[in-house]
Amino acid sequence: MNSLSKNQLCALLLITDMFGLCCMRGSISAATLWGVLGGTALQFLFALAFAVQNRELSKTAEVFFLLYALFCGGAVFSELWRTSGVIYIPYESGHGIWGRLLTAGLVAAVCLYISSTGMKSAGRAAVIAAAVGIFCLAVDLASAVVNADWQNLWRPERRSTAAELIRGFAVSGGLGSFAVFLGEVRGDRVQTAVRYFTAKAVISAAVLLTALAVAGGIMPMTEFPVITAAQLSQPFEAQRIDSLFLVVFSVFAVFSAALQVMTGAFLLRRISPSFRRWKSTAVIVLTIAAALLMQGRELLLLRAAAAAAALLTAAFSGKKISAENISG
Amino acid sequence: MEKKQLLPSLDRSIDEIRRISGGSSDVLINRFVTGGIHCALLCCEGMVSTSVITELIFEPITEIPPQKNAQGLFHYINEELLLSTDRPQAEDYDTLFRLLNSGFAVLIAEGMTCGLAFGVQGYNTRGVQEPSGEGNIMGAHEGFTETIRTNMSQIRRRMKSPELVMELFIKGEKSSTDLCLCYMKDRVPEALMEKIRSSLEGIELEAILTTGYIRPFVENGSFELFSSTGTTERPDVLCSKLIEGRAAILVDGVPYAVIIPRLFCESFQTLDDYAYKPYYATFIRWLKYAAFLTAVLLPAFYAAIVMYHPELLNSTLFMLLVEAEKKAPLSIVTESLFALLMYEMIREAGVWLPKPTGGAVSIISGLIIGDAAVNSGLVSTPLLTMTALAVLGGLVVPELEPQITVLRLGFLIAGGVLGLFGISLLACAVLVNICATEDYGFPYTAPISPFRARGMGDTAVRNGIKKLQSRGFTVEEYHE
Repeated sequence: MNSLSKNQLCALLLITDMFGLCCMRGSISAATLWGVLGGTALQFLFALAFAVQNRELSKTAEVFFLLYALFCGGAVFSELWRTSGVIYIPYESGHGIWGRLLTAGLVAAVCLYISSTGMKSAGRAAVIAAAVGIFCLAVDLASAVVNADWQNLWRPERRSTAAELIRGFAVSGGLGSFAVFLGEVRGDRVQTAVRYFTAKAVISAAVLLTALAVAGGIMPMTEFPVITAAQLSQPFEAQRIDSLFLVVFSVFAVFSAALQVMTGAFLLRRISPSFRRWKSTAVIVLTIAAALLMQGRELLLLRAAAAAAALLTAAFSGKKISAENISG
Repeated sequence: MEKKQLLPSLDRSIDEIRRISGGSSDVLINRFVTGGIHCALLCCEGMVSTSVITELIFEPITEIPPQKNAQGLFHYINEELLLSTDRPQAEDYDTLFRLLNSGFAVLIAEGMTCGLAFGVQGYNTRGVQEPSGEGNIMGAHEGFTETIRTNMSQIRRRMKSPELVMELFIKGEKSSTDLCLCYMKDRVPEALMEKIRSSLEGIELEAILTTGYIRPFVENGSFELFSSTGTTERPDVLCSKLIEGRAAILVDGVPYAVIIPRLFCESFQTLDDYAYKPYYATFIRWLKYAAFLTAVLLPAFYAAIVMYHPELLNSTLFMLLVEAEKKAPLSIVTESLFALLMYEMIREAGVWLPKPTGGAVSIISGLIIGDAAVNSGLVSTPLLTMTALAVLGGLVVPELEPQITVLRLGFLIAGGVLGLFGISLLACAVLVNICATEDYGFPYTAPISPFRARGMGDTAVRNGIKKLQSRGFTVEEYHE
């Protein structure tokens, strides 16, 4: 049964991408912006090929996407741990591995709950969360414009264009979910793809441009440029608002992890229909294990390769769906 | 009760009635002979009007000319006397007792296996009064009463359309409570009504004493913080919901109607909104949204910001709070919990005590305990101010008070333990719970999510009546 609307799937995917963008590490430049836009354009082309062909995922592809969801979910937890030094989370900073596991456990518990309510309610909630998140980010970043130095846009690039393209391609935690859930969306698949990738390009450009303009001057010293930009952007003279960013960040983290868990659980049910009861819990446990294996590494190359493989698998494997199945 | 058919022998039938009722003192049996046939008029003391029985039943019945048999007598009464407008027949003792206990007088006769009932209800009821819980400034001041038929007439008076259907039925094995399912047949899809009827058929309760007994049967079974059905004690509000394509259930003995389905945004709407100018109604609506968020989140934000994120405060405010909290012996979370739980106790005491004593409790609690707590330094003044503001915010949306109370405490603990991160996590879980709430396919969060642009004209703002009249809205637009 098609149970998601176009906007709901787009919201879920955009939240994941925005979270990835917030956790982007190392210095950024104008080339990063072009890299992200180029990466998004490439992803769009592959996604369009998948959407137009109306293909259904094969069993092998489902197993691949399950592993990809675990990998992306692990990356979400890993990034959450990495950024906790910058984004203040009580109890995590001073308690080492136990603090991290506590944070992961809490996020996992919420993810488990979200997953248990079903895709429909998660989609509805994601639309509200994305709207509130975009509004808060807009306030945060619009206030950054006051402190921005637009000369920073022309600062020399520190990475090659190819490296930035790989980096841009890697910022795409939702590609697996896109391929898996596109068939669950009511309405036109192509229109969904167009809407999602357009929104992703616009939001990525806005966030990166502002981050570059605000944090460009201290780029060599900053580990997370988007978070730093949010921290530097203070609309009021006597009051800071960067904790607002923490709220948005946490909400994005939860929905990003929940999307991967739901994708994993959905695929697990399709691969092994008899495994129903603990599927979400199993996916969460494996996701946290994956995060522990990553040990906070960014793994850009691996992520880009996995994203490319995901798109190729989606576009060129599996069988075509008949017209009545699409409409149904 | 037994579905045993009425016995033809009058004596045996009366014995059976006495046996079933256990010789209850309020079952009155008046034996007499009319038209040459031995009869008995049964009624329940206190449920019937004595004057109506005397004037409209006893006087004409005793003047009946001699009849050949009991069938002839019943035929004569039915066809020529027309003793009352409401004349159901009782074929069995179950029906007979239900009618007796609903204020009917039942005539049984020698040789007849059925009884003739006459609607002569005369029990004391509360008159139509202003609703106590749903205030109104510019609208009608009439509320539902405990009598289902009065409530039905109140709805019918406002909705004279033949499309308005009221289906009466009985539920409750022991209470035999009258329920009435109301809907506009041109606005509600028949499939939805079938689903509601089927849900109501699942009721196997012994008694239905309040709307809370039937709401779980017409709500989604999963754990929901917010109710996907609503209640109202105002007939005008109910009529507006019926026009929007909703169904309603009236319960005899309860001055509230259950509305199916209910949306989250409706908790912030009142009938007065449509009496004011749109700009003012929109302002009031947003004020209520803000009050709801304040009620739920303010104590939690206070604890989280003061304990973990003081950089959010400007220096003056920060110093002020530090000075105030320095003197308090308890942690901020403990202080907040203490203040909130105290308020809840005072509120409960005020609700259940007799009105004069309840007032005194409020004065003692508010003035003496509150003042003493601040003066002794047990609770800081800023914290008490935040608590009071949060409580006040909750009073602006009285319909959501249970949810606000619990969520406020939950968010306070989350904020106190994990700061803004904890609040965000809990907010995600609550948001998903609200979004998962739906009834018969109507999402509770519509028209916000799933987004329906047409619905926002009466949600984010309040469009002018001319604009609203042209949109022809029914709740079916939100169905998923």
